[in-house]
Amino acid sequence: MTGPAIHRLPLNAILGTALVGLLVAAILIGLFWMPYGPIAIDLDHPLAPPSWAHWFGTDQFGRDVLSRAMLGARISTSIALGTVVVAISTGTCVGLITGFLRGWTDRLLMAASDAILAFPGILLALALIAVLGSSRSSIILALSIAYLPSVARVVRSAVLSIREREYIEASRVAGDGTIYIVLRHVLPNALPPVVVLATSLFGWVVLAESALSFLGVGVPPPAPSWGNMLSDARPYMEAANWLSIVPGFCIMGTVLGVNLLGDALRDWLDPRGET
Amino acid sequence: MKNDPDNHARAGLSRSEAERLNCSGHKRTMNWMLASFFAKLRAGHGQPYRRLCTQLAALVIACGVAAPVAAETVLRTRLNSDILSSDPGTRRDENTDAVILHVVEGLVASRENGSVGPLLAESWTVSQGGRTYTFKLRQGVVFHNGAPLTADDVVWSLRRYLKPETRWRCRLEFAKDGIAQILSITAPNPQTVIITLNRAAPLFLKTLARADCGGTGILQRASVGPNGVWRKPIGTGPFMFGAWQRNQFIDLVRFPRYAALPGPRDGNTGGKHALVDRIRFLVIPDSSAALTALERGSLDILDALAPSDLVLMRGRGDIKLDMAPTLDFYAILFQTNDPLLRDARIRRAIALTLDTAGLTKAVTQGTARPDNSPIPSASPYYGPTETLRRPDLAAARRLLNEAGYHGQPISLITNRRYPQMFDIAVLVQAMAAEAGIDLEIETLDWASQFARYGSGSYQAMSFAVSAKLDPSFNFGLLIGDKTRDPRKVWGSPEAQKLLRQTMETDDPRQRQALFNTLNTAFMREVPAIILFNTTHIAAFRANVTGYKGWPAAQLRLWNVGFSGMR
Amino acid sequence: MLSYIAKRLLLAIPTLLLVAVAVFLLIRLIPGDPAQVMLGEGADAASLAALHHDMGLDHPLPVQFAAWFGHALSGDLGHSIVTGEPVASMILQRFQLTAIIVLVAVLLATLIAVVAGLVAAWRRDSIIDLAVVGSASIVLAVPSFWLGLVLLLVFGLKFGWLPVVGYVPFSESAAQAALFLILPIVTLTLTQSGVLTRMMRASSIDVLRQEYITHARAKGLAERVVLSRHVFPNAFAPTLTLVGLSLGHLLGGIAVLETVFTLPGLGRLMVDSILARDYPVVQGCLLFTAFVYVVVNLLIDICYPLLDPRVTTQ
Repeated sequence: MTGPAIHRLPLNAILGTALVGLLVAAILIGLFWMPYGPIAIDLDHPLAPPSWAHWFGTDQFGRDVLSRAMLGARISTSIALGTVVVAISTGTCVGLITGFLRGWTDRLLMAASDAILAFPGILLALALIAVLGSSRSSIILALSIAYLPSVARVVRSAVLSIREREYIEASRVAGDGTIYIVLRHVLPNALPPVVVLATSLFGWVVLAESALSFLGVGVPPPAPSWGNMLSDARPYMEAANWLSIVPGFCIMGTVLGVNLLGDALRDWLDPRGET
Repeated sequence: MKNDPDNHARAGLSRSEAERLNCSGHKRTMNWMLASFFAKLRAGHGQPYRRLCTQLAALVIACGVAAPVAAETVLRTRLNSDILSSDPGTRRDENTDAVILHVVEGLVASRENGSVGPLLAESWTVSQGGRTYTFKLRQGVVFHNGAPLTADDVVWSLRRYLKPETRWRCRLEFAKDGIAQILSITAPNPQTVIITLNRAAPLFLKTLARADCGGTGILQRASVGPNGVWRKPIGTGPFMFGAWQRNQFIDLVRFPRYAALPGPRDGNTGGKHALVDRIRFLVIPDSSAALTALERGSLDILDALAPSDLVLMRGRGDIKLDMAPTLDFYAILFQTNDPLLRDARIRRAIALTLDTAGLTKAVTQGTARPDNSPIPSASPYYGPTETLRRPDLAAARRLLNEAGYHGQPISLITNRRYPQMFDIAVLVQAMAAEAGIDLEIETLDWASQFARYGSGSYQAMSFAVSAKLDPSFNFGLLIGDKTRDPRKVWGSPEAQKLLRQTMETDDPRQRQALFNTLNTAFMREVPAIILFNTTHIAAFRANVTGYKGWPAAQLRLWNVGFSGMR
Repeated sequence: MLSYIAKRLLLAIPTLLLVAVAVFLLIRLIPGDPAQVMLGEGADAASLAALHHDMGLDHPLPVQFAAWFGHALSGDLGHSIVTGEPVASMILQRFQLTAIIVLVAVLLATLIAVVAGLVAAWRRDSIIDLAVVGSASIVLAVPSFWLGLVLLLVFGLKFGWLPVVGYVPFSESAAQAALFLILPIVTLTLTQSGVLTRMMRASSIDVLRQEYITHARAKGLAERVVLSRHVFPNAFAPTLTLVGLSLGHLLGGIAVLETVFTLPGLGRLMVDSILARDYPVVQGCLLFTAFVYVVVNLLIDICYPLLDPRVTTQ
């Protein structure tokens, strides 16, 4: 008895698409047009509250918050997307190798991934960025290293269950090579959980990037990320609350949207919830 | 009077501790005994002590119950990081200096105007062409452990500082390559100390008084254990060193037998009086948290406020503000050996793009004084040659053209630990971009940036220099032989010669002329762009009295009390 | 069982060794010199060299590593080069606080997650489910430091109900200490409960579809019994694993909260010592957190068979 189910609306898909659509729209419009230059200072109008001239107000140097948020959408998304691509692709490779080959390679790589998982993630990224210097690419690299083991583990456990299936055995008997089997049979079947993981990862990275900004190692100016804007707004949380509310809601909306889309994707890829 | 139990609670004291302290407030002399006893306990002497502690605490509570007493007054303030040690001028930073200078005092100390005044020395004479200093000690001065101050203690303290193993920061100032070598320290009688130098050094007393040298504080021998291990400072200051819970708080306790000088307070000397029973320095790294604490009344004084905090603190009935111009500066440093920035025209062009006044106003919310000279505007030597550079984009473009600059990127290093350095970098980047100069900001953590400063491996960096009581010290940070000391930005031999001359004379008019020449050359060659001298901002609860900032920007809590006190 | 534990502990040794080497190399790769930072802008080369000697930084790196690791094996993590305190006692002192916050918050979050997740799965697609999934997704999307700051402004400042700074150790006054910990614990609980609730809901939905649940229902067991006896234990195991695996991230994330709430915990100690290049403290802390991670995950794995009869330790 599963209770009186109301009609199953793909609410998460609708809301998720709407929020992500908003994000994409902000990025696309921002490529061609912004209300003001996002890095143009106007020292005569600092900390102006939202008005018709500046919808989301201005910051302590008179920069337009809406324009900065639009640019921030691009920066934050590029960091999150970059990290997701790097972490997912390398993590999938590691997961496939360890899961399918087993043996010493598996043990060694898993010990290494355990070692990384045992590190407090943000602090690992903090130390790595201190080594690499704070730029967008080093933030992507540092966060990828921190999140790679989680991806590898998910892929590995999927592979472990897939390799016991009959069609793998059949393929092997038919004389197919290992690489062919992995690419033809294992990878496609391991992909659905990876796609879902990728959406969660996107959200984590946006949040992790804002935490890194808070600890002082965000992207270098003048281009802001949302995390940057949020941590810059700290001294003004009471006096000019729009400075923190705008990037705060941007982060919330994006993470929420991507997560909802991930949920919808899972329902769609795996309607009976078998994995 | 702050005697409601709630106050103790807010100060972070448990009820029993509060009662214990109330009791000790009744018998002031017990304060010292208790403080030292508990300090010993906290140092971790194991179980038997702990039991003793509980018994003692019970006893003290009993006495508190038996005799209703005047409540202890506690002044609560904030440090943004813990002090590094309690040994003056050794393992230190600005917080350490500020705390320690409440506890120890030197022969001489800095006055408000940057000159040097007597403190433990009543007077001194200089003879033998400026090479011999004879100090006459003040009578009736007592150390925190009750021992009287004698010339012997001064000799012992100074000799200890000069031993390499003490790691005194200012030891090398008095060695061969320093301002003058100390040849001998003697005490012909209990009230007289004679110091002989190898050459005349007009900056000798000013160096002794430096806060980062721990004010060359005179210590009682019991400060050091029998095996030469540092214990804690036993000085002659208005407050005694109390409990120190690492990364939580440091307590300083009123010294009832302090021998105060007559007259008003003047810098680190003059009439110093402990008006509260105890000062608690709470370690609160996060500045927003500290502000919130002040607003709530969990702190009484908060100094070194960021200008951005002013927005919140202005116009509140329960909080007062104090602003004092200081002798520091914020600047953009250039690496004058860099292939690109070797050309003074490019450096000058960057300087010409900057609207110093506008930048200062934006970065410091209008609190700081814009200043393009290494001589701080609050210095008595700040004179007619110190004019602000006018922004001139056309001239900047012309200079860039002549120098053959075509938009090559120049890295500008900054950090997020010091928000004003970061903001300066952001604004300088935006302003320089208008003349086609491509500054790329590189954000490092402070330790990395500092390493780059130390090795000179940078193109440009946003930097700040703490308050120095003499312009020679300010110029000294910038000028020097770059091959021997890569930290120096300005290696010009003429500048080095002029700097040396400013240190060899103590005639103010002669020095003024030298500083003027130096400043003119500095504005022409632009090895660095000085931007402003900050204003030290302190906020305190409305019932706090007597707080005053001063150009050295070092926190002083003597003569500070609460309104309505005795 | 004992041999299983012994085997797992043995397996943890290479992980810890890897962590030790990685930490040592990583922190030394960061440019910056602790002695320089300590001495400040006016320091000369001679006092720098002297301080390097004091800090033991004048030996070659392999020698430093061997010395540090040798001592670490015997439980001596060395002394902080900034304050001179023994690292082991610094860690233990700071960890008490962090452990209390993390334990209480994770416990509360798990409790919320189990109840909310189970109910949401049971009444899937109902209003309750929608509310649970919606609020879990929203708390999941809030940056934790922002949440902390907003709570601090509202409850600490606007209403003045809770203290804002300063911390009283439990040894001095448990009641006061608890008061200081309410906001950080609430913040951490909220952020953690988001992930855990979603996990619990997903695995409960999974379990509810299994045949044995249908069997149990067919036997006429009350829904309450089905949920508590059959669904809960089976759905809880993956949630528990998630708690263990996210522990590393939790210990890092708490650094941010400890900064917001000015708590002298382990996270802040790690951030501060990374920034000050206090090598022995960073090395000690990270080795310690790795050790905690290994032990906690071992404990969780030992608990596993207790929950899920299908998994055995063999």
